[in-house]
Amino acid sequence: MKKVLALASLAVIGFVLVSTLRLVPFGVNKMNPQVAERYLREGVARTGSVNIVTAIVVNYRGFDTLGEVTVLFLAATGLGAVLFDKRGKRTQRTPASLIVKSAALILFPLIVLLGAYVFVHGHLTPGGGFQGGVIIATGFLLMYMAFRSYDVSHTWLMAIESLAGTTFVVLGLLGLVYGRSFLYNFLPLGTANAVFSAGVIPLIYVAIGLKVGSELTGILDHLMETIR
Amino acid sequence: MVYYVAALSLILIGTYAVLTKKNIVKIVLGLSIAETGVNLLLITIGYVKGRTAPIFSDPSFRPEKMVDPVPQALVLTAIVIGLAVTALALAIVIRLYDHHKTLNIEKIRQLKW
Amino acid sequence: MLDPVLLIALPLLTAFLVPLVRRAWRPLGEALPLLTLLFDLALAISYVPRALEKPIVVIIAGWRPPLGINLTIGPLGIFMAVMILFVAVLVAIYSIWYIRVEPKERYCMLCLMLVTGSLGMVLTGDIFNLFVFMEITSISAYALTAFIRDRDGSEAAFKYLIIGSLASNFFLLGVVLIYSSTGTLNMADLAAKMPSVDPRIAVPAVILMVVGLGVESEMFPLNGWAPDAYSMAPTPIGAVFGAIVVKGAVYALARMLYTIFNFQGVIHFLVIMGIVTLLMGEMAALRQRQIKRMLAFSSIGQMGLILVALGLGTAGGLVAALFHMLNHALLKALLFLTAGYLVYHSGSKEIADMDGMGRRVPLLAVAFSIGAFGIMGLPPLNGFWSKFLVISETVKAHYVAIAALALVGSVIEAVYYLRVVGRLFFKPADERVRAARLPVSAFVSLGLLVVAVVVIGLYPGWVMHVLQPAAHELLDKSFYIHSVLGP
Repeated sequence: MKKVLALASLAVIGFVLVSTLRLVPFGVNKMNPQVAERYLREGVARTGSVNIVTAIVVNYRGFDTLGEVTVLFLAATGLGAVLFDKRGKRTQRTPASLIVKSAALILFPLIVLLGAYVFVHGHLTPGGGFQGGVIIATGFLLMYMAFRSYDVSHTWLMAIESLAGTTFVVLGLLGLVYGRSFLYNFLPLGTANAVFSAGVIPLIYVAIGLKVGSELTGILDHLMETIR
Repeated sequence: MVYYVAALSLILIGTYAVLTKKNIVKIVLGLSIAETGVNLLLITIGYVKGRTAPIFSDPSFRPEKMVDPVPQALVLTAIVIGLAVTALALAIVIRLYDHHKTLNIEKIRQLKW
Repeated sequence: MLDPVLLIALPLLTAFLVPLVRRAWRPLGEALPLLTLLFDLALAISYVPRALEKPIVVIIAGWRPPLGINLTIGPLGIFMAVMILFVAVLVAIYSIWYIRVEPKERYCMLCLMLVTGSLGMVLTGDIFNLFVFMEITSISAYALTAFIRDRDGSEAAFKYLIIGSLASNFFLLGVVLIYSSTGTLNMADLAAKMPSVDPRIAVPAVILMVVGLGVESEMFPLNGWAPDAYSMAPTPIGAVFGAIVVKGAVYALARMLYTIFNFQGVIHFLVIMGIVTLLMGEMAALRQRQIKRMLAFSSIGQMGLILVALGLGTAGGLVAALFHMLNHALLKALLFLTAGYLVYHSGSKEIADMDGMGRRVPLLAVAFSIGAFGIMGLPPLNGFWSKFLVISETVKAHYVAIAALALVGSVIEAVYYLRVVGRLFFKPADERVRAARLPVSAFVSLGLLVVAVVVIGLYPGWVMHVLQPAAHELLDKSFYIHSVLGP
């Protein structure tokens, strides 16, 4: 009965969406000349970032990104609140084999390096703070899986998380002080395609990378500790 | 076109799982699938045939040859939000399992749904 | 002159800083959230005169509107912001003594982010940004629902999370459809472009968005989460749901339907949804035995009344809706916060166990009765004016049958509230319940709420002064567009 109802409502939703999407042509240029095309035409000159997606994420729509960082912080905080008294109850798991252990030791620094590379070059190449942070967190996940007793200092994770978040907001507020508005790019733009260019964009992306990395590691840590 | 079909099916499959599945982990999975569907749709909207990623890593690249960058920026935000929701949902699932020692939603229901 | 973006940036900064400051100097870490909220409230009030004169458009990152994100602080936005911050400050004061479940630090952080999210929702001028802030609000609400970590709290939170995220998925889908046909996300720009969009795309998009916001605004078939979340969350959070989360969603709904989509012609479906929500909520409230569940269903009923007034599409209807939103926020906060201590002192959530509390904790019972009389709409209190306005505007818009049904709803409401008040004062008290004094934190927050309720009841003109421009902002689309994008 419940399945029939669910299928019926899904059929309605599906029908509406299909008939709507038929009116949205696929693969055709739908860009708004006042918005998307302007990002493409002026983006590099006005933000200094050759990666236009980064220019939008960190600069044009930087406020969204602040919200996004908050959402992740919120998830980490909420997870810590919901699983509060379950800390420290990590119990025995099957030990990993020697191959996994030695490979993890070799790969871990490389993974962290790759993550750092991705977020430092966020304004030049595909990737950025979120992607780099996630890569770093996978490194920690590998360590958690390889070594039973592996543990990251919660105080440090918390401190990095808070400091990186504060850095983002403070950079935004400095834009208010030295520039015209919140999150204003008040540093010189430099030459395009150089690592030290695009003003505050790389700084914000480094802060985001550290924050996402420490937050995801914290989330993994919380979830790992509840395994029994 | 195939992207639209894929996105729509992901949305519908995910929603179906949320509505009918008994296992709470599967419900969370369904939620993630539906979110992925919406994200895929978003990114598909911005695609323009024959164009490339909006990164000017070489001065010879021209804006006329690039896809819409806005959906890509939006989808990044949407993915992160989806991740946050999933993480919190899993934490609550752990709590529920602690209290009830089961993942079956019909045995969990104390409150009226 | 401080930049209004601080309204959002400051609570966020505090939320990020709390863990660090608490480790450095504990007392400051504990006082910081309250101080920030107080400062924010003062800041918001200082913007009122300017916002009434002309909407303040705040540019973020130096990009003018359709290119970047902007905040639009018009009469409506600043009215909502002051309301949210006022309730948030009182809840923060109340929580100082009331919340004793660890981790308190995370409770403060979650509350701060909830306030940030809802402030962002009511101030932003960008539709995707609205979605992001909506998610901040609702994710912190999910986490706070599960905060006590007991069996029912976790279950209520899970239910709320599933329904809420499914709904926000639909909202995002609506945003995607709109972006595909306009290529912009700025609300003013969208409002200007909407008339030229194919209605076969616009209508499904609106339906998806209304479904998405309907969950948070407790519209009829989508409000299954509300009673559980309200009653299982820590009590101050129940007040936050009723006064902040839901009101933010209703604001977004009004903004969607009035400013972005010019749906004043077809908006009347809200009247029908509203009256159904009202009657369902009141009927269910009548059957409840637990005080917080009863308040939750009553909240659903009041949201129904607000939706009815919103759906009228007239200036008077909007003023009535906004006024009732304010009054309901104050009254529901008062009721929830008193109910928290009623439950605490009687040691039970059941209404039946609260007999004679009026003799044991008289101040509490008097505060509860003021809240109950206000919601019922007795004359000297604020609820009377807004209820009267809603019903008279409904009659003026020729919905006589709907107005009659709304009156029936009010009568049902009077029955169940009077039942509780009667038990508080006229039943002999249980021996187990001792006479008790209220802690200072509760005394201050409840006292301020009672004062606000009575003052607005005696001088409704002050609020009207803000509400009329706010309603005008919603009705006059071109005014909104021009103030953001320039003439």
